[in-house]
Amino acid sequence: MSLKESHKPYPASWAEMYYPNYSLREKLTAVDRRQAFRYMGLPENPDQKFLDLAEICEKKLLQAIQPRYCWKLFQKSDLEFLLLGQDIQKHLMNCQEMILFCATLSQHTDTCIRLVQTSDVLAGMMTDAMASALTEQLCDAAELEILENFKQKYATWRFSPGYGDFPLSVQSDILALLQAQKTTGICLTESNLMTPRKSVTAIIGLSDQPVEKTRKGCTACNLSKNCPYRMKGVHCN
Amino acid sequence: MKKSDFQKILEKHKFLVLDGGMGTMLQAAGLPPGGIPELLNFTDPELITEIHRAYVNAGANVVYTNTFGANRLKMAKTHKSVQNIISTAVANAKRSGAEYVALDIGPIGQLLEPTGTLKFEEAYDIFREQILAGSNADLIVFETMTDLLEVRAAVLAAKENSTKPILVTMTFEENQRTFTGCEIPAMALTLEGLGVDAIGVNCSLGPEELRPIVDKLCEWTTLPVIVKPNAGLPDPVTNSYNFDPEKFASCCGKFIDSGAVILGGCCGTTPAHIEAVSRMLKTRTPIQRKHSIPSAVCSANQTIIIDQPRVIGERINPTGKKRFKQALIEQDIDYILNQAIQQIDAGADILDVNVGLPDIDEIAMMRTAVKAIQGITDTPLQLDTTNPEALEAGLRCYNGKPIVNSVNGEEESLQTILPLVKKYGAAVVGLTLDRNGIPKTAEGRFAIAEKILNRALSLGIRREDVYIDCLTLTASAEQEGVMQTLDALHRVKTELGLHTVLGVSNISFGLPNRELVTRNFLTMALYAGLDLPIINPNTASMMSCVRTYKLLANIDKNAVDYIAHYGTESPESKPVASPGSSGMTLESAILSGLKSEAGNLTGTLLESSEPMQIVNEMLIPALDKAGADFESGKSFLPQLISSASAAQAAFEVIKNHLCKSNGESVSRGTIVLATVKGDIHDIGKNIVKILLENYGYEVIDLGKDVPYEAVAEATERSHAPLVGLSALMTTTLPSMEATIQLLHERCPWCKTVVGGAVLTADYAEKIGADFYAKDAKETVDIAKRIFQN
Repeated sequence: MSLKESHKPYPASWAEMYYPNYSLREKLTAVDRRQAFRYMGLPENPDQKFLDLAEICEKKLLQAIQPRYCWKLFQKSDLEFLLLGQDIQKHLMNCQEMILFCATLSQHTDTCIRLVQTSDVLAGMMTDAMASALTEQLCDAAELEILENFKQKYATWRFSPGYGDFPLSVQSDILALLQAQKTTGICLTESNLMTPRKSVTAIIGLSDQPVEKTRKGCTACNLSKNCPYRMKGVHCN
Repeated sequence: MKKSDFQKILEKHKFLVLDGGMGTMLQAAGLPPGGIPELLNFTDPELITEIHRAYVNAGANVVYTNTFGANRLKMAKTHKSVQNIISTAVANAKRSGAEYVALDIGPIGQLLEPTGTLKFEEAYDIFREQILAGSNADLIVFETMTDLLEVRAAVLAAKENSTKPILVTMTFEENQRTFTGCEIPAMALTLEGLGVDAIGVNCSLGPEELRPIVDKLCEWTTLPVIVKPNAGLPDPVTNSYNFDPEKFASCCGKFIDSGAVILGGCCGTTPAHIEAVSRMLKTRTPIQRKHSIPSAVCSANQTIIIDQPRVIGERINPTGKKRFKQALIEQDIDYILNQAIQQIDAGADILDVNVGLPDIDEIAMMRTAVKAIQGITDTPLQLDTTNPEALEAGLRCYNGKPIVNSVNGEEESLQTILPLVKKYGAAVVGLTLDRNGIPKTAEGRFAIAEKILNRALSLGIRREDVYIDCLTLTASAEQEGVMQTLDALHRVKTELGLHTVLGVSNISFGLPNRELVTRNFLTMALYAGLDLPIINPNTASMMSCVRTYKLLANIDKNAVDYIAHYGTESPESKPVASPGSSGMTLESAILSGLKSEAGNLTGTLLESSEPMQIVNEMLIPALDKAGADFESGKSFLPQLISSASAAQAAFEVIKNHLCKSNGESVSRGTIVLATVKGDIHDIGKNIVKILLENYGYEVIDLGKDVPYEAVAEATERSHAPLVGLSALMTTTLPSMEATIQLLHERCPWCKTVVGGAVLTADYAEKIGADFYAKDAKETVDIAKRIFQN
């Protein structure tokens, strides 16, 4: 390495390519209740009592969240060390580039769930389920915004560590490459769990040719072995 | 270098110039994605020294060592010791010929409890190791911080293990808060209180966006202010920062107008940027800042300015409360938390926390209570204890600036309490009594207040941080003393210029219609100059008294707050619904999940039935029915939990009744519950807990992320026959297995039941669990089998 290059006035290096101030708060104005009820094990149209509870919990949750995301574009060839297992390889087949992505509903969401849960376990459960649903909504909204930059490309769906044989251990690399603590406040615990809890990392593949959009099937899910929906012969999504 | 020297350095230099981005330079020099910058201290020391030297040549007085992430957690994979990395990095920096080398320390990289699993004490230890390793540096810098609690651990580690000046910069968003919600005033109050040498901001935003943040910081601190911005914002199209050196320097010039005196650059800045800044500074002189900071206390996310009456809630205190004492003995933290929530909802601005009881470990309980309350609310706390060790335990882990309750005029109290107040940067309540007791006259109390104030000032505690309590005596016993208290309060306020605090409830002791007396005394005290009434905010008339006073004293402008609270209330009192009037039974209330009805009905039933009879003949059969509906698929888990919540309300009424009548407890057996080490998903465990409790089992809830040893210890201590363990993630199943193994060794009598989303019956057997429960209901069935009840 030489210092000469580093005297460039505007370093356009890899670590500078993040956009730390993306917030989608204004786009997250309602929780996907159908999904939240499903996470809770409630029927699609539960009693009025649960609808009332949902109303209260949703209000508290939407006040608490500070949603954030960040992403960065990489050449697939630069990050081969990250692509462990067959499933992610298959997922990114024919892709030349990939987007690393992380998103979180923030630490304030964890605090909100803890607070609600302290005085009412059921409300805590409802708020937690709603936050999970909202995290998916955040990811969907963020993905739309990101892909606005790549209209001329074909994108795969989001593939996250833990799907299929793509190990959770790569999360630490993804978060490091995104400087996630600085850009979004996401950290890993000693046991590789993301904190704040309602956080996601994912990879989106980009290709010049159309990519096969296979459905996000049960085999990619690590809960498939004792999934209550599969036991009933139905799907969660 | 002695800390007091930092002021001299500043005086000598007028402005201090810091370096620019290190990461920026390293990446530009070819550091690959995923590369560890700290290793370059070994693999390419010349490059590191050359970068430092480039900044020195550009005019930087201070260079930061290349050690941002050099802590034992982040460096674990490098197989190099923190000592080795940091001492090498300091040597590389020294070789550049820099005037001052600052040991650079960034965030640990894991979140602290309760959102993360890192303990405050561990964080302290990690920072301590870095500080000891950097003993050859001239200054210590903590930068890019977002969590005030982590900063507190860092600063305490620095102060207790070195004498170097300490600089702290945190990273704010445009909403003027950090990611964790920390406010600028809270940062300033807390860190100035802890005695750091300079504070400021770095990273995240460009110079333009930082301006209002720097303005606000300068308003809230008397310390020298640091600004180390990015080179503008990154451009999403070109992937580069948009400020060239000249523009950067001219923007930085505006920070001088705000009052900053220490400037540098963060991401995207280069020696050229620093050169431009240092050139710009040659033409400037620092401005004179005003130096009066309001009297205020805070948590990280909320600052309460004592510029009007602020209510201190008194309910977290076992004195005279049997149910609270029982909760302390049983370590029932949820009970304490609910006391906190109720008072905040009722309008408390600050919460008094007293957890002293002769039979418990008050030191550990103070620590637990402070952490738990701060884990769910932003309301600042007042630590109330007569035990100096418990006080220090609370002060140490408190996130923000608390009030200490209390010091008094006695020599021993002054000598033990005030140094703690100074060290941890708290505010303090001074009681106007000494070893001769409470002086009868206002004159005598005023004299003690003056003594306490002078002693505090001589230790460097600010006048604004001393609150005087002139002590309320009961009107029934010492009627002539009432006006003495108020006279003393008025003099302390007007002649000493101090804020005042007073517990008012005591006034009416022994009199009929106590509320009437207390409320009127409160109004008199407020008029005499009371700032911090310590009251029960759950009593509506006390809060209405404070709100009315604020309206009449022209504090609540346009009666906004008053109307918000009382605007819709009709003057007639509301009819009170009589419990049970609807013909509802306890069973139907529980099955429908109606909490207040279940509680009211239980209250009525207790007038004619025995508690155990209600539990066995009504509560449990109702829960059994709810459980059966759930099992048969007629209802869903949330409905079962809703029934359990109603049963819990009924149980709380029974517990209160038993406390009052000193009756036997209703326990059907003891069960230990924990979410295993490493796992932070505890909703499932909490559902199991509520169900078990409502079946009459005594649950020792150890919480989440529980170490193996803690599970074994609790099981040994309680000799519980059953332990329930939960884990949600595959990654934490091994620690479930380890916990079971330890239980087998140390508590061979106990059975284990496990549950959690990724568990299966097969896996439960494989890791040595006695039972697998697919849901909360099944755990109850297993408990019934074990306890044969």
